[in-house]
Amino acid sequence: MSDTKNLKLKRNLTALVDFSRIINSSIDLQFILNNVLLTCLGKFLATRGLIALNENGVIRVKHSKGISDKLIEKFPLLDAGDNCLNSDSLKKFRNSAKLKAAEKISSSDDCVGIVCLGEKLNKTEYTQDDLEFLKTILNISATAIQNSVRINELQKVNRELDSRIQRLNSLFELSKEFGLFSESTKVSKLLVFSLIGQFLIQKFAVVVFEDGKIDILESKFDKDELIKVVEESGSREITETINVEELDEKYEGFKRLGINLIVPMQVQGKTKGLILLGERINKQPYSETDIEFIYSVGSLAIISIENKRLFQEELEKRKLEEELDLAREIQQNLLPQTLPAYSSYDIAALNMSSKQVGGDYYDVIPLDENKFCVAIADVSGKGFPASLLMANIQAFLQIICRQKVNLPDATALINDLICANTSDGRFITFFWALMDNAARKITYVNAGHNPPLLIRDGKITKLKKGGMIFGVMETSVPYISETISLKKDDVLILFTDGVSEAMNVTGEEFSDERLEKLVIDLSSKNADEIVEGIKNEVQQFSKGTDQSDDITLVVLKVK
Amino acid sequence: MAEFSTSVVNKGDVSIIYLKGYLDAHTAPALEDNFMKLIDENKFKIIANFSELEYISSAGLGVFMAYIEKIRDNKGDIKLTNMSEKVFNIFDLLGFPLLYEIFKTEEEALEKFNESKSVGNE
Repeated sequence: MSDTKNLKLKRNLTALVDFSRIINSSIDLQFILNNVLLTCLGKFLATRGLIALNENGVIRVKHSKGISDKLIEKFPLLDAGDNCLNSDSLKKFRNSAKLKAAEKISSSDDCVGIVCLGEKLNKTEYTQDDLEFLKTILNISATAIQNSVRINELQKVNRELDSRIQRLNSLFELSKEFGLFSESTKVSKLLVFSLIGQFLIQKFAVVVFEDGKIDILESKFDKDELIKVVEESGSREITETINVEELDEKYEGFKRLGINLIVPMQVQGKTKGLILLGERINKQPYSETDIEFIYSVGSLAIISIENKRLFQEELEKRKLEEELDLAREIQQNLLPQTLPAYSSYDIAALNMSSKQVGGDYYDVIPLDENKFCVAIADVSGKGFPASLLMANIQAFLQIICRQKVNLPDATALINDLICANTSDGRFITFFWALMDNAARKITYVNAGHNPPLLIRDGKITKLKKGGMIFGVMETSVPYISETISLKKDDVLILFTDGVSEAMNVTGEEFSDERLEKLVIDLSSKNADEIVEGIKNEVQQFSKGTDQSDDITLVVLKVK
Repeated sequence: MAEFSTSVVNKGDVSIIYLKGYLDAHTAPALEDNFMKLIDENKFKIIANFSELEYISSAGLGVFMAYIEKIRDNKGDIKLTNMSEKVFNIFDLLGFPLLYEIFKTEEEALEKFNESKSVGNE
């Protein structure tokens, strides 16, 4: 009898050693739990059982056999402590799940979990011996379970760490890459690649708001519909991430398209675009850290896109400036490079253009040995339109001077031509004169230009005769001309309003009065000196201000 | 910087892309070209052999995501093979095994393609 008992003991021991070896050879928690539970069920001929483990102080079911999921769900919230087996809620649960036996899995310092077993197949109660044996099995299991749990936790932490490193790598990589590309489409493509790769996404879009325009850089949605939704939902105003739960009525359209997440792309707190993402293929929600990552990547991208746009703008501005320089040069070349010499007249001229291309023009055109034409004009406005008209009138003048037409008729003709070429309300003030060298006389027509000054013996005569300014309407009333005989030392000053209207720092104008007084003072000097004198005076006056208008001067002194 | 290169070999109606080096945001467009070309040629059965790939970033993974839908719509697939542990870890980390069949060897992937073909022919 004692032999059989010994044999039984020996078998039990061998089984326990085997069991210990098996569960300690693995770190796979499920494998271990499965083995422990199967061993218990086999040993006691039970058909149902569960193992619950201590997870941060709470005991949760980790493995079960023969118990429905529905029942498992009713497992009570159990604090892991010395008394956990005695809690009423557990007893109640055991009753409903028909779990007769329960034992704690204890390590030296902690409650690792509990095991509950159903009734034995042979309907006998669990004896004290049975429970002792169960305890032995569980004592053997405790270390293996605990080790495995710790390794699992470690692996989880490791994986989270890996995941963070991986995300940091992605961010680092993209920031490096976004610096190099020149096109926003390339930036958005890499942005999309990274996001769909990172989160397993198949539906996505990237939109950018630019000067009130919606630009779709990437889209797996119907583009027209997407634009409609983006426009109608007022999504420019989105400043916070909107999650699928928050996609309420206002963003119904996005939901309908299959968008689960809206992340704004911001520069200095201003929304410049949106990242729209569909569901993840693994059905997982976007977590806080996911959204943080998406926001960071989006910020990198939009800053890069924005920088490129600013760079482009700067480039175009510079190009425009270069063209402007070129235009100014051309315009300067339209003015006479040298002035003709006539025995009766000392001629000098000056044109100082302001920063822009402008509409001032003067010319001195020789007609024959005895006669020449002197002209001055000011086109209203500035910039390219004015300079084009200026070039226009220069061409007319050069040609018409070679025709033998009288001055008033020629003036009327030029006005008609200018009228045909202007449509936006621009006009030109114009003065021209035919100078006779031998007879020392001037015949002029003034089409609304600041009256040139004729200084004789300290007195000023203003040359006002003529007619309407150019460009307002076709000539209906003929222009009239005036002829004046000139005397030695007479001085003729042609100027544009850039001279008389030059401003000083207080906003005061140089004025006609000041100019008239000045030219009387200067009238004894030669033409060059008079030009120089006026220029110096005007510059002195407007010192400290930007020259706002072209300054043009033509001075003729009768010899 | 380590570069990235690909080469494509056709075995029957299956195209095998060999990836070599570093697949990141910088080099992802090169792989994209491969996929676009294959799709253009109506080659939808694709094996990506990673044996010489040293690194893959999410931008690289994104290229696989970007074309898989179109390829599967055309009754094709991208199967992944010969990954180093390091590369597999990244795929695994982001949950790719859920979506892609990953094989130890190219032959296994080829076999899988041919299997489904013979099933389709029946």
